[in-house]
Amino acid sequence: MELEINEFCSCLELPLSTVERWIRQGRIPVKKIGDRCLFSDTALRKWAQEHNLPYCPPDEQTAKKQAEKPESLSEAVGRGGIYYDLPGKTVEEVLGEAVSAMKDIESESDRQTLYETLVAREQMMSTGIGNGVAIPHPRTPLTQSSIAPQIAVCFLAKPVDFNAVDKKPVYVLFVLVASNSKQHLQLLSRLSYCLRDTTFLNFLSRIPPPETLIKKIIEFESHLNGGE
Amino acid sequence: METQMLHIFRNTPLGRETLLQTSYFCKHLDILPVIYIPRYLKFLMYFENEVVQVDLDSSYLRSPDTARDHALQIVKNMGLPEPKFLEPKHFTASTLPDIPVDYDFMSCPRSISDLTSKIGLGYIGPRVRRIVHSARFPVLIPSSVFKPWKSLAVLFGGSANAVKTLRLGMRLSSISGLPLDVFTQEGRRKRGDYENIIQQEGLNTEMDKCVRNWRFFESRSLAENLYEVPDDALIVVGAYGHGLVKELLFGSTMEIVQSICPNSMLIVGPNYRALI
Amino acid sequence: MDDRLLLIAFGAVVGVCSGLAAVALYYGLVFMVEHLSVLREHWWVFVLPGIGMAVSSLFLEKVVREGAGHGVPEVVYSVSRHGGLLRLRSSFSRLISNCLTIGSGGSAGPEAPVIISGASIGSNIAKLFSLNERQRITLVGCGSAGALSAIFNAPVAGMVFTIEIIMGEWSAANVVPIAVASVAGAQITRLLRAPEVSFTHLSFNVDLTSTLASVGLAVVTAAVSIIFARALRYSHHFSDKIPLPVWIRAFIGGCLVGAIGLMLPGVLGEGYHSIGKMVEGAFAGGLGLMVLLVAAKILATALTLGWGGSGGIFAPCLVIGSFAGLMYHRFIDLLWPGLSWVNEGCYALLGMAGLISGTMHAPLTGIFLIVDITGRYDTILPLILVSALSTTICHVFEPASFYLRDLIEKGQYLKPRTDAKVLADMSISELVEKDCRTVPRNMLLGDFVKVVQQSHRDYFPVVDENTGEFQGMIHLNDIRPYLFDSVMYETVFLEQIMKINVETVDIHDELSDVLDRMDANGLFSMPVVSSNRFVGMISKATLLDRYRNELIVQTQH
Repeated sequence: MELEINEFCSCLELPLSTVERWIRQGRIPVKKIGDRCLFSDTALRKWAQEHNLPYCPPDEQTAKKQAEKPESLSEAVGRGGIYYDLPGKTVEEVLGEAVSAMKDIESESDRQTLYETLVAREQMMSTGIGNGVAIPHPRTPLTQSSIAPQIAVCFLAKPVDFNAVDKKPVYVLFVLVASNSKQHLQLLSRLSYCLRDTTFLNFLSRIPPPETLIKKIIEFESHLNGGE
Repeated sequence: METQMLHIFRNTPLGRETLLQTSYFCKHLDILPVIYIPRYLKFLMYFENEVVQVDLDSSYLRSPDTARDHALQIVKNMGLPEPKFLEPKHFTASTLPDIPVDYDFMSCPRSISDLTSKIGLGYIGPRVRRIVHSARFPVLIPSSVFKPWKSLAVLFGGSANAVKTLRLGMRLSSISGLPLDVFTQEGRRKRGDYENIIQQEGLNTEMDKCVRNWRFFESRSLAENLYEVPDDALIVVGAYGHGLVKELLFGSTMEIVQSICPNSMLIVGPNYRALI
Repeated sequence: MDDRLLLIAFGAVVGVCSGLAAVALYYGLVFMVEHLSVLREHWWVFVLPGIGMAVSSLFLEKVVREGAGHGVPEVVYSVSRHGGLLRLRSSFSRLISNCLTIGSGGSAGPEAPVIISGASIGSNIAKLFSLNERQRITLVGCGSAGALSAIFNAPVAGMVFTIEIIMGEWSAANVVPIAVASVAGAQITRLLRAPEVSFTHLSFNVDLTSTLASVGLAVVTAAVSIIFARALRYSHHFSDKIPLPVWIRAFIGGCLVGAIGLMLPGVLGEGYHSIGKMVEGAFAGGLGLMVLLVAAKILATALTLGWGGSGGIFAPCLVIGSFAGLMYHRFIDLLWPGLSWVNEGCYALLGMAGLISGTMHAPLTGIFLIVDITGRYDTILPLILVSALSTTICHVFEPASFYLRDLIEKGQYLKPRTDAKVLADMSISELVEKDCRTVPRNMLLGDFVKVVQQSHRDYFPVVDENTGEFQGMIHLNDIRPYLFDSVMYETVFLEQIMKINVETVDIHDELSDVLDRMDANGLFSMPVVSSNRFVGMISKATLLDRYRNELIVQTQH
């Protein structure tokens, strides 16, 4: 495969002027045809490796970019699922119900760890953020388990005292699971953006059906994405 | 990024005209003039694969006390911001400064090293030629008396380098807002061939947008047809180094143009690289 | 074709060409001396060097308009800063001017002229074939090695000198082509002429006392080297102050040299003849005469080179060195008359090595030159001793070699693989980070906080929204105290918070200067501003990152 000079610069993530100077100084293997320069992909990969330079061809770059795409809230909720009328009178009970309701957890041991970490986090400090909403989540991301990043929305049958900041009983849980802290923060920040908004809270208090809830979340997320 | 243009200032009436021309160019294209007031009769320009020694004629050193003020005045009167004055930082020998070559344009009189009396049409000094041939930047060769130009005229011959020249012309036209005319002398290639080249290069829409008029000269020689080029146009022409022998025998387009047209010219050399 | 093979082939071609240039100069000198020797009887012969030097300087100034010094510094400069680009005219100009200077009797050497000619031939051959800078520098080295080895018939010395002085680094990619060129140059000489400096028939038995005594010689040669280097420089500065045209200065200088030559003819010309006599031990004259000769030769050379003659210091170094060696031999003979010393010729050889090592700070060149011209290793022990000691002593008094001193003083000498070279190669325009977001001066703090939220940088350049002119900078730290003060959001404009009079960088500034300024002001990044427009930021973090890339790329071929 042969590359043009512009493509090559983006592979090395270096400015054109540097690469041109290196060509002039004879430091890069290059084939010159007239005033055009052609680079062979394999030779350059070897050269970059010898000189300890990062080398990332365009297709790998787009793959990397995709991997770095921020977590989408609606997708996470889609994975986590939306559940209604969960029974339970105490924090532990509702958490247990929530964890056992979550559809996307394969092994029982994962389920058990998730439950334990959620309870441990709750004992440290309540995740009830007020207005009847709680965001139970493990304190450190569950790097060991195979649970995909997700948010399970659980509407409770009866509001439960979560020892929330405003002392109001909690009627909905957003169980947030992430596999690394960056994901965790991204999801949390997006979630809190929605939950700060009174229209969203009002909408939530009407206990909407799954489709409308997802639609609403997508709508809110588009504000966020548009702002960037 | 801010584009810059190098000008070697000569503190004489002729030098005034050339600096006026340079300032006019800079003003219309939003370029910062960088003025070098020589203190030595020689300087070196280290290009990519060539070192050019320029031996100035002695008029360049005339009345050094007023040179800076004169230059400043000319540039300011044109309504440009304060120009930059170049102080050479490196010296090959104590009286032989190196002038940097990383500018975007350079302005050169037709001859830089011979006596001014020789300067006339039909003569481009050997140094200026070498600068044109080695430089990555286009070289402006101003007319000997300042005349504001109101349009651009690109002479388009169809080669790969000519396409670069055409692109430059279009870019200059879109920056300055001045109309652009393209002139093509038909030879072996006919009108359709040239249009194909434009098509292949994907310049169609740009051509339609920027170019006011594309004239084809079907009969007569280029020398005769150059009368059609407007008197108040800046001619943008390529010099592509066809080899010494061919140049001596037939003369390049640049030679013909510069010996016939008194207009200011922007010459694009074979090593010109477009800013991306 | 493989890069290395290509360079070796080109190296051989360049070696042959520069060898031919050296031979041409040799025959030019022979011709001049033959035709001018008939005039030796006349009393006015002392104006001869004057005329020669005047014509030589006129030729350099007016005909070829060279405008440069005796050559070697120019080659080093071009190698270190411009990838070995040299002017085509340099390939012959010094040959002719040097021929005029030495042929008429000026005291100078033909080496610097052949070195720059050879280097320029190499550079122009590289240019012709559009080779890249690395290859071009190698060919410049090849040219210089070929020329030097041809003029002395000393292939090893030619190679070592080139690597020690011109290239400044040993690397496998360079050494092989240079060695090939060196051999090619020497072969050309052996084919076309009989070398005049060659003592292969002599043998020396160096005993312990003589070896020990050579320590003393090292001190003497070091002292003479320092005097010589200073005399050259002083003479140059002095003549620069004389308000006369160059060629008249050269004429006066030449006449003075001629006048010295009337009394001591041994100091004129390049002096290979007297070297031969001294090494063979056939040079008459006592201690006093030797001291006088050393002084006279130094003076003559300083006058020749400083006042406008064209030539190198290599041959004068050899002559002065052998005078000094002989002088030392006479001196110790006087002190300890009973002891049996090695042949005085050996001391002449050692003196040469000592002077070359001392003046040029090139100990290996000194050693190998003597080994080359004697063709044997008899004298190697004292040779190493004298060369090493002489260089070391001179280093204390003269921090840089004669060739590089001016360059170093101007900060123009960039040794390969050093900090200065890496910084000189990179330019500001390569390092500018352009992803900074500019903010208008009339923006409210509240709006700015939103900008900050979405930006991933700490610095924000403030510009005038109408003219686009750069006004000042805001760092995140500047707004930190007001960050959560919503009253300030609606009342404060950026203009009021921004830092004005910030240190800025021009896109054409030298990177090393910029770094110095950063260090001096304790800054980690600076805005790049060109004619009042903000271009981007330059930061130490990026710089370090790219500096390292650059260093690796430069040092690993």
